[in-house]
Amino acid sequence: MLMILGTLADAGAAAPDQLEELLLDIAAGDREALSAFYDRTRRSVYGLALSYLKNGHDAEDVTQDTYVRVWDTAPGYRPQGKPMGWVLTIAKNFALMRLRRRGREQDLPQEDWESLAVDSPAVTAEDRAVLQAALGALDDQERQAVLLHAVSGLKHREIAEILELPLPTVLSKYHRALKKLRKQLEGGDAL
Amino acid sequence: MTDRQLEEKLALAVEHAAPDQLESILSRCADRSGVVIPLRKKRPFARMAVAVCLALLLVGGGILGFYLRQQSAVASVVSLDVNPSIQLEVSQSEKVLTARALNAEAEEILRDMPLEGTDLNVAVNAIVGSLLRHGYLESLSSAILISVEDADAGRAARLQESLSSEVGLALQNAQSGASVLSQTVAQDASLNSLAQENNVSVGKASLIEAIRAVNSSLSFSDLSALSVEELSQMAAAGAGQLPIGRSEAERIAREYAGVGDTTAVVCEVDAELDERTPHYEVELKLSIGEFEYAVDAYTGQVLRGQAGILAGAGDSGVLSPADIGAEAAKAAALSHAGVSADQVSSIWAKRDYEDGRLEYEVEFWVGSTEYEYEIDAATGQVIGFDHEQDGAESGASTGDIGLEAAKSAALSHAGVSADQAAFTSTKRDYDDGRLEYEIEFWAGDTEYDYEVDGSSGAILKSEAKTHAAASSGDIGAEGARDAALSYAGLSLSDITGLKVERDYDDGRLEYEVEFRSGGREYEVKIDGSSGVILEYDMDDD
Repeated sequence: MLMILGTLADAGAAAPDQLEELLLDIAAGDREALSAFYDRTRRSVYGLALSYLKNGHDAEDVTQDTYVRVWDTAPGYRPQGKPMGWVLTIAKNFALMRLRRRGREQDLPQEDWESLAVDSPAVTAEDRAVLQAALGALDDQERQAVLLHAVSGLKHREIAEILELPLPTVLSKYHRALKKLRKQLEGGDAL
Repeated sequence: MTDRQLEEKLALAVEHAAPDQLESILSRCADRSGVVIPLRKKRPFARMAVAVCLALLLVGGGILGFYLRQQSAVASVVSLDVNPSIQLEVSQSEKVLTARALNAEAEEILRDMPLEGTDLNVAVNAIVGSLLRHGYLESLSSAILISVEDADAGRAARLQESLSSEVGLALQNAQSGASVLSQTVAQDASLNSLAQENNVSVGKASLIEAIRAVNSSLSFSDLSALSVEELSQMAAAGAGQLPIGRSEAERIAREYAGVGDTTAVVCEVDAELDERTPHYEVELKLSIGEFEYAVDAYTGQVLRGQAGILAGAGDSGVLSPADIGAEAAKAAALSHAGVSADQVSSIWAKRDYEDGRLEYEVEFWVGSTEYEYEIDAATGQVIGFDHEQDGAESGASTGDIGLEAAKSAALSHAGVSADQAAFTSTKRDYDDGRLEYEIEFWAGDTEYDYEVDGSSGAILKSEAKTHAAASSGDIGAEGARDAALSYAGLSLSDITGLKVERDYDDGRLEYEVEFRSGGREYEVKIDGSSGVILEYDMDDD
């Protein structure tokens, strides 16, 4: 089971030094390195963006902006052992900027699949159910905590740093999110 | 569905949903012209640069001296107040000259944060980050006050503006709903001395004076004990009288709840002085659940909340409401299922407070069927239940060697005898249709982790980790474990899933101890040389 998780979640969390090597190459103008970096980290970035924006199109835009910015600012990146945190913070800031542009965030009931606007052909019916549950049944912080953990493989402590929340908050939001998701997906009969 | 399976589904869904935009991204990335600074190498001319600087200093001493003096003159005083009060003296070039903590809470915030010489913006961001980490700006009604005192009114206004938006941005990034208040303060010698005498910042002193202008019967020192949140709410609501204060509100709520002073209760107090009925909201978190109280801000009357949630609590902090106990709850569940205790493997019970009712959640396995029960803690009645036959049959699993045999297999593989071992966790589980025993135990300073095939007794997975032994200045992994257990009021046999990690954090030796008990997860951080508990967190599993 652990192996399956390894290929789904980004490998970035497990190999920060490799990511930092790539960042140094990106800083020197190596596009192959950006390609490899993108490949290792894009799920986490997209996942984080989606958890903030609840909209696939916006998440795609933010993801793109993030990597262009990584390219632009890589020369100024100082290796501190947390490359994933660095990238995700960039993504988070872009997501927040976009949220501000949308205006005062209301808790829109994102229950219909259309408003979620995720139109990738690879999405299965089960994926749809899972994403709808995550976006509809969870509050902002629950959604962010659980998506980041599932997709990036980062530890709760690192997630707390990225989301800039206290660790106990992240832990309790994360557990509550799993509870709610399970209830939603199993139809709520389980105790 | 296990947590891991849930997360896998999530990860899979995101994987499928995330499009590959590499082409678009690459097309937006401009080529780099020229050579960019290779961060790996140390700058070869660094040493020369220092030498040049020194030479300049010696030669141009006079001019440089004046320049330096100008740089260290205090141009503005910036104060940041929440509950902690911090005062920054800032130079003309907006660098922090001194950073002073004006109360004990502020000292905690500024700990290990050398701010002298940093840019004002960087320093303010760091302070806000520290405030957030210490939980100060969490609730919607929290407030931070930024005050700028400067002889140059134009600069004061500009700093006020830029700092407010800087802090506002930082708060937004942290998803804090706290509000940012700001003001410029005219330089006033009497205000300064008033502030110094009462250990508050000039900014807070100014706010207090503003309130006293409305109601002069309130004393300066009484008001200085209140937080910025309370002061600004008072100012907004028309400062009628002095509110009772947050610690008094907490005390009243605890007394009303019958909880007393026990530290087994975690408490959060929030001032709501600008509501129609000014009050404090006090939240008490006990092991049996969370309770909310509203205490009138001026009279101290309890407006809302449950009285006497504990019946006959002793001073050891042992809680005992009307409760049949975990054993009785388990028995009730077993009898409902028509199963006897010896047919059962791994039964556990968790006490929980849900929908205003105390209940026990009981779970156990019989063969490959999982049973889940909810038992009313007061009556022992079955509120709900669920039987689940475990899914996948791989056909390979027949027979069951039993827990004792599995333990022996693990012990002999580890070369440890039964009396040397302290078992911290044993679990019987089906993984993809195969029966497995997960066994964890300690022997001396070594932690062992085993997975044993339940039908053949073969070792599927083994892990051993030898922890630090105690030495002077290091309590050792066992010491840390024991400190954590005693703080939680539990013994080794009460817990499962024990993990101990040794770490250096900011030059301090720390141990992180994790374990589960009674359906809750505990995380304790302990100072590695003194054994003092640094952080204690308990969460529902």
